[in-house]
Amino acid sequence: MKGILQNIKGDKTIWAVVTLLGLFSFLPVYSASSNLVYVVGSGTTFGYLVKHALLLALGFGIIYGVHSIPARFFKGLSIIAMPIVLVLLAFTLAQGTTIDGANASRWISVPLVGISFQTSNLAAVVLMIYVARYLTKIKDKTVTFKESILPLWMPVFLVIALILPANFSTAGIIFSMVLLLCFLGGYPMKYLLGIIGTGMLSLTLFILTAKAFPGVFPNRVDTWSSRIESFTDGQDTEADYQIERAKIAIATGGIMGKGAGKSIQKNFLPQSSSDFIYAIIVEEYGLIGGIALMFFYLLLLFRIVIVAHSSPSIFGKLVALGVGLPIVFQALLNMAVAVELFPVTGQTLPLISSGGTSSWMTCLAIGIILSVSVKTSERAVSNAKVKIDENNPLEVLSGQL
Amino acid sequence: MPTNDKNIMTRLYVVTTCMFLFAFAVLFKLVNIQVVQGDKYKALAMKRTEKMFTIDPNRGNLYSDDGSLLATSVSRYTIRFDAVTVSDADFKKYIVPLSDALSGMLGSSSSHYQQLLRKAKAHKNRYALIARNLDYSEYMAVKDFPLFNRGPYKGGLIIEQKTVREHPLGKIAERSVGYEHVDDNGYYSGVGLERAFGPYLRGVEGKRLKQKIANNQWKPIGWDNIVEPKDGYDLVSTIDINIQDIAHHALLGQLEKYKADHGCVIVMETETGEVKAISNLGQTKDGKYYERLNYAIGESHEPGSTFKLMSLVAALEDKVIDTSAVIDTEKGRWRLYDRTVKDSKWGGYGKISLARAFEVSSNVAFAKMVHNNYKDDPSKYVNRLLKMNLGRQLDLPIKGEGKPVIRSPGDKGWSGISLAWMSYGYEVSLTPLQTLTFYNAIANDGEMVKPRLIKEVREWDQTIEKFDKEVISASICSKETAAMAQDLLKKVVEDEHGTGHKLYSPNFSMAGKTGTAQKNYASQDPDKLKYISTFAGYFPADEPKYSCIVVIHEPDKSVGYYGADVSGPVFKSIAQKVYATSPLTDEVDMDKMKDENLETSYQKYYVEAQKTYHKMPNVQGMSGMDAISILENLGIQVEVKGNGKVKKQSISHGTDLKNVHSITLELS
Repeated sequence: MKGILQNIKGDKTIWAVVTLLGLFSFLPVYSASSNLVYVVGSGTTFGYLVKHALLLALGFGIIYGVHSIPARFFKGLSIIAMPIVLVLLAFTLAQGTTIDGANASRWISVPLVGISFQTSNLAAVVLMIYVARYLTKIKDKTVTFKESILPLWMPVFLVIALILPANFSTAGIIFSMVLLLCFLGGYPMKYLLGIIGTGMLSLTLFILTAKAFPGVFPNRVDTWSSRIESFTDGQDTEADYQIERAKIAIATGGIMGKGAGKSIQKNFLPQSSSDFIYAIIVEEYGLIGGIALMFFYLLLLFRIVIVAHSSPSIFGKLVALGVGLPIVFQALLNMAVAVELFPVTGQTLPLISSGGTSSWMTCLAIGIILSVSVKTSERAVSNAKVKIDENNPLEVLSGQL
Repeated sequence: MPTNDKNIMTRLYVVTTCMFLFAFAVLFKLVNIQVVQGDKYKALAMKRTEKMFTIDPNRGNLYSDDGSLLATSVSRYTIRFDAVTVSDADFKKYIVPLSDALSGMLGSSSSHYQQLLRKAKAHKNRYALIARNLDYSEYMAVKDFPLFNRGPYKGGLIIEQKTVREHPLGKIAERSVGYEHVDDNGYYSGVGLERAFGPYLRGVEGKRLKQKIANNQWKPIGWDNIVEPKDGYDLVSTIDINIQDIAHHALLGQLEKYKADHGCVIVMETETGEVKAISNLGQTKDGKYYERLNYAIGESHEPGSTFKLMSLVAALEDKVIDTSAVIDTEKGRWRLYDRTVKDSKWGGYGKISLARAFEVSSNVAFAKMVHNNYKDDPSKYVNRLLKMNLGRQLDLPIKGEGKPVIRSPGDKGWSGISLAWMSYGYEVSLTPLQTLTFYNAIANDGEMVKPRLIKEVREWDQTIEKFDKEVISASICSKETAAMAQDLLKKVVEDEHGTGHKLYSPNFSMAGKTGTAQKNYASQDPDKLKYISTFAGYFPADEPKYSCIVVIHEPDKSVGYYGADVSGPVFKSIAQKVYATSPLTDEVDMDKMKDENLETSYQKYYVEAQKTYHKMPNVQGMSGMDAISILENLGIQVEVKGNGKVKKQSISHGTDLKNVHSITLELS
């Protein structure tokens, strides 16, 4: 244990924020689990607590493991991982799982272990590293759009096309984050606008096809459109019910909140432990709790900016931002849904929600940011020994790129 | 396109600023929901998740006059079985012991229950009926049966509780005890005392605020009820269960014997008007009798000859005739206009006195007497009847009292023969209770008392409201008239010519009047002609304690129909048994004897016991009992030898108590 603690490197504030959020997450998860146990009628509250603890422990294992890999290795890893991710995504989509007749092929179950795994989360992280790598590679060149199609947009569109039918919001977030990263990485603005246009066009096409031939592939188009409609119109729908409950939770929470575990609305909010956890947190810990939580995410954002700022390499900057900004963005989105600033998306609150394996991908991202934040001096020992270890394929790969 | 640290950072600051702005928008919306929309959603929260529940109060009990329970609310339990929630292993293991236990309690064979349970299991029945209407002790026992003792989830036990009104003494006075229901709109319906005194019995509903925690699951909020439920008051009725029992069975026996349609009995305490028994029995299609309607209170009918008493009293009060006046009954037939008044005795009674006419119940004599004396001023007769409160309802709290009919000249239906017909109880209509009230007034020397069914309203041992004797009229007739009427009523039974002489018993006295009224006489078909047999009177004849009326409708004519034959025996049987069961009791008050010695020795002890001791007191000469109590109160262990007074104490008086822990007393 002591050894591990001594080996902790990188931005201490990020470590602190992540640990704090991780520990805090037990409270709302434990509280909200009573809904699953007594209303939905599955499992035991203690069971959910243990499960959450195990997931979180493994998550911290991932952070620790990943943060000790030097950041430059991720370039090579992303190239290796890209085809694997595409295969996994295709496999996931091919399963054809449906929820209420809509395509919900988001998970594959890991053999032997018996837990399900949301491949899109992994794909997002890998894709962001991949894009960061590409942007680093072209940093000194002036690329034409044609040149960038194959190495950049091909993989991006493949990933998004494989996620989109089952999970619109995740696909949307990934797409926006890729665009954001390209913007940060200096990819020409005119091309970006073109891509946005193409994206919109293909999305419209997809929706139209899906609407025209509902039997072709069971999709979630109807779910999205109904969610967006319910956000814009005044009719009573399931989503309105959730939003109303969430707002009741926020309103009754008041400034100080009702106290840990005393939420009432958790019994009525169907997704109280994931999608609407922020409303439950405000109900139990009040405006103060809600603002504090927001503060920690913004602190994380601030530290990510610092990490990017102090990273000596362009790749370091871009990869830290590429995997870091989506975390904060997703957190803000989750909160925005709870306060009815955004339609219901089904995005979890990173590091807090008991989102299962998706939290591991957040941990993976955190690990990468921490890896970037590790100062050259801290790795000096290992770097001094071997400039390029010829036996390490990653070293070779990274050196080449 | 050269990209460097600087332009990345510049662009990043733009992005970060946007994200911060987004974060602030979220926070702004958060505050907005709490502050601006707060009240709306808080109200909505109340609406959606909180609900006021009512707590039913316990309904009050209804007691008989001696405190026996006539009606009370009890819990009844229905046991059902959820065959799905029970595991197969448990089911296999416990089915036989469970069935044995059920069989032991509920009677059916063990295999019956095994079959029932297996069937439920096979059909995945989650709501199989095991037993209904178990009482509390049975319910407690069932809860401990094998398998069921594992509770609702593992044992599949489903319990439904309901509150029902129970009559511990059975069907006694069922219709008068009555019932009360409330519908969804809060409208009460019912009959009898339960309905009449419903507002006392019901109590006040409590209110409790509860919060929804899931579908159909509510938890109470806060410590206290918003409104505490207030249990209903208890009612003590005037019903005497012994007399009621006697009346019920006497009536039932006679109804069965005469295959009558229905009948009723009322027994009333003469002086106070307390109804001691009220029994109403009606025949069902299968020939059985049970309390169907409250005939005694609700059914107004032509009384027949029992009304001759009213005519007699009216005539005597108006002093138009004397009891010794002689009336010619001719040959038992008297033609008046186109109708004929007939006597039941073929050939008539000849010339008889009014007194004898009453005893033998001559219709002709009474028709002549009233018609001849009042024909010039018929309203004089009618007004006299009305003055004696005959046309008026008794104004009972029980709903549905029958309306009496006493026609006045000029009313619809009044004719030249009305006076004659009214004189012996036709063209008038009274309920049995109204008739009895009049008879009771005669027994009471003219004081008309209102019949009562309720003595008091109580909350535990406190009286909330007392219902005392209510006098309708201090005197409906003069004492002399009442005395004459009493004498004649007595003679109806005692005189061997009297219509009630069959009731005569040398052992105790009764007074009363028979009545045999025709029913459906308008029809020409003799088969449709029915009778109402009545006997109204009181006992004992000299010092009336109870008045009683027996009315039996439509006895089987082939068995008999005269009032004396049909209703009379019921009256007699009641009088006899009531008399036998109410022995006279005398109480002698004895002053408590005061024992001088005891008083003085207690005073001495009391003085000693009040002192505070620091030194050992002198207990020699005290009784052992007193000495022990004083010493042990000082914290000293006392050992006693012998009994009687203290002869010797092992530690002499005056010793400092600090060093004394135990003492030995020798008593003699």
